[in-house]
Amino acid sequence: MNAIEIRNLSKSFRGMYAVDNLNMTVPQGAIYGFIGENGSGKSTTEKLICGHLVPDGGEIKLFGKSHSDAGVRVRVGALIENAGCFPNSSVRANLMMQALNLGLENREEEIKRVLKIVRMEDNARIKFKSCSLGMKQRIGIAMALLGDPALLILDEPINGLDTDGMKIMREILVDITQNLGCTVLISSHILGELEKIATHYGIIRQGKMIQELSAEEMDARSRVFVSLKTSDMQRSAAVLKDMFYNVKQEDGCLRVYDVDDTEKIVSCLMKNGLGVCEIKKNKIGLEEYYVELMSNKEVI
Amino acid sequence: MQTVRELKFEQPSLFKRLKGMLGVDFYRLFHTPLLYIFLLIAALIPALVSMGSMGGDGETAGMFTNAWQIIAANKPLYVVSDIGDYANMNMVFIFGGIMISIFIGHDYKSGYVKQLFTTHAKKEDYMISKSLLGAFSMLGMCVTYFIGGVLSGVFTGLSFSINAGSLVCAILGKMIMSLGWASLYTFINVIFRSKFGISIALCFFLGTGIPVIGAAAVVGNTPALNIFLYGSSVYACLSANVLSLFICLMNSVVWAVVYNVLGTLILNKRDCY
Repeated sequence: MNAIEIRNLSKSFRGMYAVDNLNMTVPQGAIYGFIGENGSGKSTTEKLICGHLVPDGGEIKLFGKSHSDAGVRVRVGALIENAGCFPNSSVRANLMMQALNLGLENREEEIKRVLKIVRMEDNARIKFKSCSLGMKQRIGIAMALLGDPALLILDEPINGLDTDGMKIMREILVDITQNLGCTVLISSHILGELEKIATHYGIIRQGKMIQELSAEEMDARSRVFVSLKTSDMQRSAAVLKDMFYNVKQEDGCLRVYDVDDTEKIVSCLMKNGLGVCEIKKNKIGLEEYYVELMSNKEVI
Repeated sequence: MQTVRELKFEQPSLFKRLKGMLGVDFYRLFHTPLLYIFLLIAALIPALVSMGSMGGDGETAGMFTNAWQIIAANKPLYVVSDIGDYANMNMVFIFGGIMISIFIGHDYKSGYVKQLFTTHAKKEDYMISKSLLGAFSMLGMCVTYFIGGVLSGVFTGLSFSINAGSLVCAILGKMIMSLGWASLYTFINVIFRSKFGISIALCFFLGTGIPVIGAAAVVGNTPALNIFLYGSSVYACLSANVLSLFICLMNSVVWAVVYNVLGTLILNKRDCY
């Protein structure tokens, strides 16, 4: 069963389509990395899933049921744009309100549990407005984790987090998907971080889904290359271009694409009297894949 | 290795859904100063009104002849001739409007409404919960207004002689009207949302009964005006009886249903945040 299934979803604001006939499939138990430029329609899609916005057309199904089903929606946790907390209330009071909202019986234990997960046990009494940006993000995640969410929708949750915070966030998301079977839809601009945890990706542009793929498919599509530094980069480039199809000079390195035979490259250069200072096998990551995809204007 | 668990989604009943929403609203109501401030204002206003009725020599200037007039007018007068006909427990409905506007406005301003609408797919939950919360708050204000009114009467030395049955009907009538008023204010607030300055102004305008007073100036002092919330609130006066109480009940419930249905329609048709 798919956790989220969207068909031909549209939403416009003053005649401009923010989401335009969007199709999306998020398998149950996945960490779905939702990627797109600013204004591409990520947050609008997330708000439509959460029922904050009314769609112009299309269908949203959560776990096979309509997204307006009360039984499903009570199991959705969300952090969209901000934590949505009362600034003058304490962290604990805000969490208590959400626990009451969800109708939880063991509220105190639940609050302690989520505060421990986001490592904010010692900050429960401080007012929300006194928290730093990173702390506010963590509180937002704690609110989303309250109860037993079957689906988490997180909009830029790692914005404002320090390195430690990002690591914690990674651990939390992996833990809840692997051990609790929760599905996570996460949008982020920090693609390096997303790449470490996502099992599926959806790339959106101008409100349309331009590509959906699993992490395995992404891996298979990623081009391998050898990057190297030599004693004479210009001559090395010329020598390698005679032998290999795709050689480029990027970021102070030579990149030989679609090749992973470093021995062949080194022997070729040595035959021409060129010394190799540094050489390593590499693969195009999510970030470069995304940039390349986005630079192709025809892909809509 | 991912765990794909078997998920069961129970359909929460209206009672269970409301329990959650009311739980949040009442927790917030009792853990923030807003309600307490308005309860205090409601208690102080009768004192200010009765002080205003005193002459410079400390004697009553004739605005009130009986202490219970601080609570309700003698007769259902829609055409206001002096402030004494007007300044009574009906003022609670003005304070209630302001309080509900601030309460709901902060729901939207803080963004907390996103949490509510994410987990509550049925928008009527929001309308019903806020209407009940507003009605409860105004009931509380009626109680503190009553206490303030009695104490003011004692201090100003006004007479307390009254038909007890009519007094009870008048107070209960006004308390019952709280539900209708709260629903109206909730409806106004789901239209204007975080722009609660507009909501406050509009609630104040309607709570003062200016439209009904204006209509009364044209059509006269007719019982037909009882179909409006302000009309029925005026009808719950010191000459009230069980019939007046019944009219207040019918009026309050009908308007509460109308405003809750309209508010739910708006929430369903418009973007929430």
